[in-house]
Amino acid sequence: MNNVVLSSNRSSLQPRGDEKREQEALLPAVDIVEESNALKLVADMPGVTHETLKVELDNNILSVEGRIALDMTEGLSALHAEVRGQRFARRFSLSHEVDSDAITATIVNGVLTLTLPKKDSHRTRRIEVQAA
Amino acid sequence: MFDDLKRFETGSAQQFDWLRQLLDGFFSDGNAMDIRAVPRGSFPMINVARSDDTVRVYVFAAGLAPSDLTIDVQDNVLTLRGKRDSVMGSNEDGSSRPVFRRERASGEFVRSIALPDGLDAERAEARHAHGVFEIVLPKREELKPRRIEVQAA
Repeated sequence: MNNVVLSSNRSSLQPRGDEKREQEALLPAVDIVEESNALKLVADMPGVTHETLKVELDNNILSVEGRIALDMTEGLSALHAEVRGQRFARRFSLSHEVDSDAITATIVNGVLTLTLPKKDSHRTRRIEVQAA
Repeated sequence: MFDDLKRFETGSAQQFDWLRQLLDGFFSDGNAMDIRAVPRGSFPMINVARSDDTVRVYVFAAGLAPSDLTIDVQDNVLTLRGKRDSVMGSNEDGSSRPVFRRERASGEFVRSIALPDGLDAERAEARHAHGVFEIVLPKREELKPRRIEVQAA
């Protein structure tokens, strides 16, 4: 179930079951900020571990997908559920300024932090205003 | 297991919240609402499951360390308190940075949820892994399911 590869060339030829599953994925809440030499993306993915997380980049589309790894005993029935699904997924399109080889990802306590460094040529340069 | 919850029809997925709220404003159905119900997408999200001898509460609190969450049970009400710091800091020199999206909750939160009757809060335990807290509340002995043997006449 977690091997669904989300790629930008996903076509309509894929089976419908697959499409349905994609719709059922939970959308993680994200914060995105710009730093002087990188973009930083922080996503809430509680229950996702290092092993169940997948971050992919394909044609400037960044896909983040993670399965909620809850260690649950058998014989449980649900009384109340706000999280209804087993996985988180979200995709972002990147601009060409991001140095795709230098992207780093870490996940701590279910919070994914992605650092998307900018290419050298796109870093912020302060322009001094000359006195006339 | 929570995948099977489509049948517990309590609303649409969280991403439709804003739409749902908007529509609720126009077309309020006269149904009674649980007094402790919250809008979908509140932080942290909570799932509750039941087994024969326990009730288990799952708190999806990404970014909280075990010491960041206070769990209280009084009567049948479970209260969760904590604080999550914003990652949106500022640069070293104190200037702020451009923010494109700020969807994650930050700051202090308190959430309460009503639990079923008959739980033994004294024997409750809580565990934490990968941003999910699991609180296990055992049922009192007298409420556990019991098989009744039929006696031969």
